[in-house]
Amino acid sequence: MLEGLMTIVIKEVKELARDPKILLSMIIVPLIMFPLMGFALQISMESAEQRIEETSIAIINQDQGTIALSFENYFSSFNFTITSLDDVSLDQAIVQTQDTNITNLIIIPEGFSQNITDGKTGSLTIYTPFEGGGGIASASQSSAISSILYSFRNYILDQRIKQGFPDANTTEILNPISYKDKSIVKGKATDVSPDTLFSLMMSQSIAMPAGIMALLIFAMQLAATAVASEKEEKTLETLLTMPINRTTILAGKLTGSIVVALVGSIAYIIGFMYYMNSFTGLIGTTNVDLVALGLAPTVESYAILGVSLFMALLSALALAISLSIFAEDVRGAQALVGPLSILFIIPMMFTMYTDINALPFPLSIILLAIPFTHSMLSTNVSFTGNYIGALGGIAYMAVFTIVVLFIASKLFGTEKILTAKLKFQRKIKTISRD
Amino acid sequence: MTIAVEAKKVIKDFGNVRALDGLSFTINAGEIFGLIGLNGAGKTTTLRIVSTLLLPTEGTITVFGHEVVNEADKVRNIISYLPEEAGAYKNLSGFEYLKFMAKFSTKDKNRIQELVDDAAEISGLGERLNDKVKGYSKGMKRRLLVARALMTKPKLAILDEPNSGLDVLHSVHVRNLIKKYAKEKGVTVLLSSHNMLEVEYLCDRVAIVNKGQVVIEGSPEKLKTKYKALNLEDVFGEVVGFA
Repeated sequence: MLEGLMTIVIKEVKELARDPKILLSMIIVPLIMFPLMGFALQISMESAEQRIEETSIAIINQDQGTIALSFENYFSSFNFTITSLDDVSLDQAIVQTQDTNITNLIIIPEGFSQNITDGKTGSLTIYTPFEGGGGIASASQSSAISSILYSFRNYILDQRIKQGFPDANTTEILNPISYKDKSIVKGKATDVSPDTLFSLMMSQSIAMPAGIMALLIFAMQLAATAVASEKEEKTLETLLTMPINRTTILAGKLTGSIVVALVGSIAYIIGFMYYMNSFTGLIGTTNVDLVALGLAPTVESYAILGVSLFMALLSALALAISLSIFAEDVRGAQALVGPLSILFIIPMMFTMYTDINALPFPLSIILLAIPFTHSMLSTNVSFTGNYIGALGGIAYMAVFTIVVLFIASKLFGTEKILTAKLKFQRKIKTISRD
Repeated sequence: MTIAVEAKKVIKDFGNVRALDGLSFTINAGEIFGLIGLNGAGKTTTLRIVSTLLLPTEGTITVFGHEVVNEADKVRNIISYLPEEAGAYKNLSGFEYLKFMAKFSTKDKNRIQELVDDAAEISGLGERLNDKVKGYSKGMKRRLLVARALMTKPKLAILDEPNSGLDVLHSVHVRNLIKKYAKEKGVTVLLSSHNMLEVEYLCDRVAIVNKGQVVIEGSPEKLKTKYKALNLEDVFGEVVGFA
């Protein structure tokens, strides 16, 4: 039995792994596409930095007042190339800006310094040549200018406040009220803000269910292909007359699909981690001690998540294999299995955006009846601490899998594996005739 | 004489369609037995029931004394089935395919290698067995499959249209192979074919199947004498009624 199973598993893995379509989606997509996406992002970020360094500003100072001059000096201190176009008309300056490498043209109108000195608003005009196609790099240049203007604005504000209230602290005047944002986690007060905790939880609530969904859809397509390709390639009949138990053939196909799906998901995780690494430094890391908060995933929560995932995988594969018995070829099997992805998408959307238990009772019952909902809920078990609910979900998925596998092995053990499609078609014809 | 296959009043219904309607025949051990008939006569359904793939609606079939429904596992141990439209796993090499199939017959590694070597010789594909099956021509694939069906020296080889879709050269090769192998190794063969001349050359006895029943059974010589016919094609015309 075991040797027969191994023979089938080895053959399944060889066949699946050598299939160019599967190889493409398993290796090329995750291991090349994700790093390429990350690389593209890095390149564009580097080019944005480069563009900031290359920022070249032209200034027409029509005011020549003290503040206007210190404004010009302020810009010079940022290593930008500053070109003074005081002797040129506005029209000429605009043409020159367009034709040369000048990235921004700043006009300081007459009366700028005086207005500020009088406590009024000093207006500036900034021209930026619009080329299109600059992407993030162009936008980052504009935001660099804006942040310099903002810090110059703060400098003026500071001067004004010091004139009015020589002994006061500018920061305190600007912030008459302050508050500290803290959370209560599992009955204990903590210094971490609810926003930080929420974003941490969201990163798990969104990334994990989406990852699980991708893995399950991928695995189901594989399992459906495993039976249907035997029919399409006309190898099934021969295999079914071999001196081997049919349940062993079914188990071999399931195991082969699981092995390939696991390898595929590892490739996805590696690719995705590489992609996410391209962001570190851009987003910054959160220094929250999850262990101290009692929110770090424990061994138990990892074990529950692992078992829950495995059960979801097994039930998805059993479902796919049972359905693919009715298909005549690979395309037919994939068409039959495709609509099942709704069973992953619906629970994924709900677990992402809401608490399933807070939904109206009939809706939450429907969602909990979908076995895959439980594997998605188990991703948050370290946050919610609902171990009993997670174990219940695993038990439910196990029962579901056993029932589906029982039906699948019954179908596989009889001639229905060869004739099911005939009856299926005839029924459709009969219905359409009626 | 040992009876290899005995079919008794076999009926097979697919929904409202009756594919076999009381079909009976007997094959003696060591014989090459041919089922001939028009498309839809019930040849393939018969072979599929003998191969344990389909269940008879009524009647019984035994293979070397084992009943195909209740003792399907025992039957599968002694038969080898080549479907008409059979394929091989296209991403495996010819050798890998033969090895995969040989592993179902024995666990002994040396024995597996012997079977694969035998199959390699039967197929006559030589070095091409190292190539993936997807690169094979139709003729090469069929030769590989015939070799697979014969390599285990089954007590009963069930071959559905063994020369299906083959050109003259490949046909002659496969035909000679079956005849030589069956006689040398004492393998009983049950085959079906459209090609009456091929059946006449290959088979010790034949059964003409029409509308799910065996109309007549006997050796080609006996049938030709009975119907004063030059060949089996003429016999077939006389019996089925289109000549």
